[in-house]
Amino acid sequence: MSDNAESPTETQKEEPQLPSDDSTTNEEKKKIDVLLKAVGDTPIMKTKKWAVDRGRTVQSLAQFISRFLKLDASEQLFIYVNQSFAPSPDQDVGVLFDCFGSDGKLILHYCKSQAWG
Amino acid sequence: MSCPALDEPGFHACCQLLLQQSEQLGDGWSWLELGGGPGEEGSEVGYLKKTVLRSVAVDSNPVQTQEASGSETEQTSILQPEAQDTGEPASLNADDLNDYIKDEDAVCTAVDINSQVLQYEYHILYSCSYSTPVLYFRAFTMEGRSLTLQEVWSSIHPNYRLCLQNSPLTTITQQEHPLLGQPFFMLHPCKTEEFMRPLLQASHDQPRPVNYVLSWLSVVGPVVGLDIPLKYCTLLHPASSLSSAEPD
Repeated sequence: MSDNAESPTETQKEEPQLPSDDSTTNEEKKKIDVLLKAVGDTPIMKTKKWAVDRGRTVQSLAQFISRFLKLDASEQLFIYVNQSFAPSPDQDVGVLFDCFGSDGKLILHYCKSQAWG
Repeated sequence: MSCPALDEPGFHACCQLLLQQSEQLGDGWSWLELGGGPGEEGSEVGYLKKTVLRSVAVDSNPVQTQEASGSETEQTSILQPEAQDTGEPASLNADDLNDYIKDEDAVCTAVDINSQVLQYEYHILYSCSYSTPVLYFRAFTMEGRSLTLQEVWSSIHPNYRLCLQNSPLTTITQQEHPLLGQPFFMLHPCKTEEFMRPLLQASHDQPRPVNYVLSWLSVVGPVVGLDIPLKYCTLLHPASSLSSAEPD
């Protein structure tokens, strides 16, 4: 039984966490569970479930996914909540979790697009 | 899918929905209509408009700043040029990712920044050629001088600057406003269908109403400094209506 703020889900390996940021507050350091789902023909991440600091921004998460998927610089990654709305890049994922989380996790859909070129 | 995802009546309906929400949230959107001339009764064209005052750092040489940081060939540095200030090499190695992510908190620290209050005007029109909404905008200083394209670049979210610069066809271009005949900047709609398609497809698979204009706006808005409050989404879809059993 886990008595810290980490994800309670037991998986074969320890649930991967996005690296913490030293400058975040204790509140922001609390982690939320995020389930990442690919949309369209975007590559699917092998690891879909992540424990993410509440204070991490959408932009930061998008960049993490882009690097993870090794996207080109010309490919833009979009993240959606509710499969319909792209939250502002500066939005904290913690707030998204509060608004849209269910069953203890936040489901985010991501999609790559040559949207700008 | 050969039929357009959004026709003009659909655009109107979506805009009216958005307008209602905007009124609830006090977000400031309004609907304007231009009537058709004689012989064109019933052909009124409408658009959404919003005016925003904002204080921005107007970098006198935004293009140079980006090019300087863009000379770093690492993909990761292109996404986050500000990180170059640390002098650390960008890398995709997992350990370096930690350091890298720490650095990303450095917000734009471009040189030669002047901060001024600007008035931005955003218009959402329907493009018949693309069957999508299209975003027009312009900006003025408080003295009434309209901003140049170069000045406008500085208000583009850093997330998008380099991608936009690299794409001559879909960057922000100066166009004549189709209804007002005045010069505006426009975010070219040619790729809209491409990034909207997976969204609409997903919404097809699960019966969930999607406001095309709102979804589109949430994607393109931040690109041009237009914030679309999260409440637009929570108003439409309160948490209680979310299905919790998403199959993985």
